[in-house]
Amino acid sequence: MNELSANILFVLTSATYAAASALFLRFLVRGKGDVGKLGPRLIALGAALHAAHICVASLVLRVCPVEGIHFPMSVVSMLMCVAYVIARKRLRVEVAGAFVAPLALTALMASRFVGRAEPGEGIKSFILPFHVTLNLFGVALFGLAFSAAALYLVQERFVKSKRIDGMSRRLPPLDALDRAEHRFLLAGFPLLTIGIITGTVWAQRVEAGATADILRAVFGYVTWLVIAGVLFLRAAAGWRGRRAAYGTIAGFAFAVLVLVVYLTRKEVPHSVAASGAGAADTESVLSRTVKP
Amino acid sequence: MVVIGVSHKTAPVDVRERFAAGSEILPELLARLTSRPELDEAMFLSTCNRVEVIALAKSGKSLDDATRAASRAIREALREQIGASSIDDLGDWLYEKSGDEAVRHVFRVAASLDSMVLGEPQILGQVKDAYDAAVAAGALRSHLARCVHRAFTVAKRIRSETQLGAGIVSISSVAVDLAKRIFGDLAGSTVLLVGAGEMAEQAAKSLGKSSKSIRVCNRSFDRAATLAATFGGTAAPLDQLEAELVISDVVVASTSSKTFVITRDLVKRVMKQRKGKTLFLVDIAVPRNVEPDVHKLDNVYVYNVDDLEAEVAENMKARQGEVVSAERIVEAELADWAAWARGLNVNPTVVALRAKTRSVLVAELERSLGTRLKHLTEGDRAALAQMVESATNKLLHAPTTRLKQAASTSDADAGDLVHAVHHLFDLPPVPEAPGERGRDSRTMKATESSSTPLAADQESGRLPH
Repeated sequence: MNELSANILFVLTSATYAAASALFLRFLVRGKGDVGKLGPRLIALGAALHAAHICVASLVLRVCPVEGIHFPMSVVSMLMCVAYVIARKRLRVEVAGAFVAPLALTALMASRFVGRAEPGEGIKSFILPFHVTLNLFGVALFGLAFSAAALYLVQERFVKSKRIDGMSRRLPPLDALDRAEHRFLLAGFPLLTIGIITGTVWAQRVEAGATADILRAVFGYVTWLVIAGVLFLRAAAGWRGRRAAYGTIAGFAFAVLVLVVYLTRKEVPHSVAASGAGAADTESVLSRTVKP
Repeated sequence: MVVIGVSHKTAPVDVRERFAAGSEILPELLARLTSRPELDEAMFLSTCNRVEVIALAKSGKSLDDATRAASRAIREALREQIGASSIDDLGDWLYEKSGDEAVRHVFRVAASLDSMVLGEPQILGQVKDAYDAAVAAGALRSHLARCVHRAFTVAKRIRSETQLGAGIVSISSVAVDLAKRIFGDLAGSTVLLVGAGEMAEQAAKSLGKSSKSIRVCNRSFDRAATLAATFGGTAAPLDQLEAELVISDVVVASTSSKTFVITRDLVKRVMKQRKGKTLFLVDIAVPRNVEPDVHKLDNVYVYNVDDLEAEVAENMKARQGEVVSAERIVEAELADWAAWARGLNVNPTVVALRAKTRSVLVAELERSLGTRLKHLTEGDRAALAQMVESATNKLLHAPTTRLKQAASTSDADAGDLVHAVHHLFDLPPVPEAPGERGRDSRTMKATESSSTPLAADQESGRLPH
């Protein structure tokens, strides 16, 4: 197992996601082809190759996949594809592949080409992988909720403007999209909540002084608040459909901002050195950028 | 082949309904048609937009004579059907097609190219029902059965290769389609009919089938109760409209009210009670029952009759654009069919030539076996018989193939060859239009699929008219 194997798997995964994206977009925009079986299968194949790529790359670099920011970017997109493949039929959101595949491709590319690649240190606490893993699952589910919400807004626009031919016919029903969005949020929210709690516990153990650290924490809390607000208002005040979709998109945008802050941070915070062995903080480990 | 009938293009509904025949009298009608000496096979197609007899003429002195005789027989049967005193009473309502025109007509009818609603799918099922009824009555046996079966293939090809059947072209179907676009499966949705008139009933027929439950809200409670009972639903008086809207998902409004029955304020209150749950309102009343501003509310969608008709018109326009492609398929299939049918014309000659060759060789063999070869064992004799059979097949393979090729491309060339073969081999003369009844009693069910001519047809030498 060497770097070449990891690179080959990376190229194959990218090509599969790219093919799935092209297939879905061609179907959605031009109404050509049939994504019924092939589209989800391509995404499933992409997810399998992606998982293999993560395993090989992490072994080659001797880095735990939930360590650093580049691997998690990759892992989150892979988890999103897996969740899509599992839930698409039950929730009738096959066409959400039109968002899932390009999102996965973008995240995969970002994990490889954005930010610095640095050799990783060992994980210094058991809380960190727990914290990162939960957040990754949560963000993956929010990615799917975002896809359903975006499709909802497109379909809702068609139905409201009474342009119900063409693309509208190829999109899932409004209620199915609304329901899928809600369920993905419901599934992801507890994970995010535990992730936020573990992150907060961690943050108390380290000094977080850099702007990026503060921004990350702020965006993390805002993400939680937005998603919590969407779920609460839906249950209490009947915020469904368009409002819930906008809220979901906003929540996912903040979650992405957290990742962007990680990706674009320039230096390892001084607190890493100060924290010492056995008291490693979130920043110290997440800041290590390894090229998967 | 002859087709005679009336359709929405040639006769108004009061004339068409006089010709119509229900399934209960079809066997008798078909028996009457096929008992006529002029007709070999027959099928009776009766739908709300057309009634026609499709028949195969029996052999006659000439093709024209046979067709004319068949036409007279069909008109006579139709006269009896409507109880008219003379054939002339049928007036100008009837259309008549024969030969390739008749085959083209059958193909076009099955493919819904001649339907009132272009591309509608029901006609294929109706033609299949007519086919099955004719087969069951013994009125379809071979050539006509094959032709109708070919029409099914043409219809399926057009449906799969063109967009002729795409889109929805009736108001109630569009309403159902829209509701599905919003709710997906309607199995969990409650349908509320506001108004209990004829239009509400039509909508209930389409929506009621797939919905969870149906409710009827009407000014006259009795009328609401009657309609609700028809569809196994629940009735409510109009003053309970707000409560009904709260528990319904799809609303079809069709009252004769001159003012809005469902206002923006009402729906606003309802949506609060529904906790934002989606509400779809179909307003098929003129004047409208639902205030247009209701459509601006979140998670509320209002479609009126103009919106639905625009969708119908759009779909119809799209279908019209597919007609050229569909007609091209019909023409290609017709040419293919005609080539195959012409090939049947040389079959009697092929059969006669084979019979003569085989009889000469077998006679020579018998003679030799009785004299010089009488010492041969049974095994040797069987081997010699097999050799004669093989020699016949090999010898006649080329002439048979060339005759059929000539027949499929040109009647004139085939005719010359047939005459030459008959002259050179001293074959008995072949009648111009054979067509014996019952030569092939095998007939396919409408649901079976085949486009390959039956071998028995080719061997029988039946001629299509």
